[in-house]
Amino acid sequence: MPLNPTVAAITLRATLGRRRALLFAIAPVILIVLTLVLRAGRPPGTLWPERVLGDFGFSVLLPLTALVIGTSVLGAEIDDGSIIHLLATPVRRRDVIATKFVVASVLTMLFTAVPELIAGLIAPSGAKLAFALFAGALVGSVIYSAVFVMVSTITARAIAVGLLYVLIWEALLANFVGGARILSVGHYALGVANAIAPDQALNAGLSLTTSLVMAIVVAVGALVLATRRLTSFVITGDSA
Amino acid sequence: MSASATESVIHDIGYRRYDGPRLRRAAIVRALAWHSFRSAFGFGRSAKAKVVPVLALALLSLPAVINAVSVSQGNQRTIGYDTYIVGLRIVVMLIFVAVQAPELVSRDLRNRVLPLYFSRPLRPVDYPFAKYVAFTAACLVMIEVPVLVLYVGTIVSLHGGSAVWAETRALIPGLLVGLMWAVVMAAISLALASLTGRRAFATGAIAIFFFLTEILAVVVLHAETRGDPAALTHASTAVKVAGLFSPFTLFDGVRRWLGGTGGDQALVPDPGSFGVIYVVVLLALLAASLLGLAARYRKAALS
Repeated sequence: MPLNPTVAAITLRATLGRRRALLFAIAPVILIVLTLVLRAGRPPGTLWPERVLGDFGFSVLLPLTALVIGTSVLGAEIDDGSIIHLLATPVRRRDVIATKFVVASVLTMLFTAVPELIAGLIAPSGAKLAFALFAGALVGSVIYSAVFVMVSTITARAIAVGLLYVLIWEALLANFVGGARILSVGHYALGVANAIAPDQALNAGLSLTTSLVMAIVVAVGALVLATRRLTSFVITGDSA
Repeated sequence: MSASATESVIHDIGYRRYDGPRLRRAAIVRALAWHSFRSAFGFGRSAKAKVVPVLALALLSLPAVINAVSVSQGNQRTIGYDTYIVGLRIVVMLIFVAVQAPELVSRDLRNRVLPLYFSRPLRPVDYPFAKYVAFTAACLVMIEVPVLVLYVGTIVSLHGGSAVWAETRALIPGLLVGLMWAVVMAAISLALASLTGRRAFATGAIAIFFFLTEILAVVVLHAETRGDPAALTHASTAVKVAGLFSPFTLFDGVRRWLGGTGGDQALVPDPGSFGVIYVVVLLALLAASLLGLAARYRKAALS
């Protein structure tokens, strides 16, 4: 998967520039501060690390950060029309998608998986759970990024579609309708975390094999579809 | 050609002058508010722009419609007017404000048309005022229409004036709670959306703010109570403070302080005398949002 360093550098600058990095940093800081406060105020043995790191980290921090980053690495350029300059260069569309996807994944990991690891090490639940959640968040970052990059090639309103998906599908249906789990990125991430450090309180619904197989299928499928969409890309104006 | 051939033949090409009434500031504000109200629902735009508002309103009205069917078959009304499936309302309203608030303000920032607005007799505060009025009205429609559907769906199956009157008396606090939601949510979401011209970032900022604070409050509430926080009769100070973290728990705290019911639809325990703090924090949040919004456009008007 050849990456294009210039595209990566421009994407990085556009995504993090102009104090936007601060926007992404707020949620991880809250996660770590909350962990510190609860550690100071709560007796060990209660289940709060799983609630904070599992619920807050995996159902809010991970999908929303991935949503904003994943839809803006490519979506911002499509939105303001400057994608035409990138598509006019002899960079392969496949490489454009691959580069955007890798940048989105790495940034999402930086703003979700790393804080999860730090918060997990602060929490009194042990280093094993911390590394399990770290691994789960890494997997989640990669798949969410692939999905949101794909969504931004399909619709100009990627963030609205993504928000509906995160809040309705991931937060509501996947937790209450058992069958929806097999198509829930959050549950793939939880499945991986739960396989490393088995914990009832994580409410993982899928086995490790199912999680990994489905994760790879979803990520590869999303990237292939995104490449196909970008290959036959039609410039449309701002949706009227 | 009205001018004679001997004078100014080049410049006067016969355009008609406008000599009708010239409407002033109030009319501009009214027109801007009406336009913004329409754009909050995607009217005047493509069908795609209407998907989220229509879907959101339908989703939020669904329980009320189910209730109407249920009541017509002789059952009791099970949905409270003041709580109205609070979990669903939070998710749907969150999506609505996150997606639609940037429609109202970010587009104008993005296309740099604000100088055009302010070249008219429009004062810097008028623009955010019109937007705020419009978006509050839009949020009110989103919140109150399902409540009114619930009310109408219930009373058509009732017999006797006293039963209808009892429903009406239960409805009024429900409408007021909805008003509180609309006034505060519109202010916060517009203030956040006005920070950036990029709709994607504006939507992200609003969604992250509301969703993050909500989950934060819920996680702390559950960590502190290990169970159903709303069922507590004597809540510890930590639990009450946790309710201050999110606008949604603030709404519920104020609602319960004003005498709202508990039950499984309540988010926070009865705050008791602590309820004053909920009101103060909520008003401070509202004031900060509105001042931030006004300040944003004072700066924009100068540039």
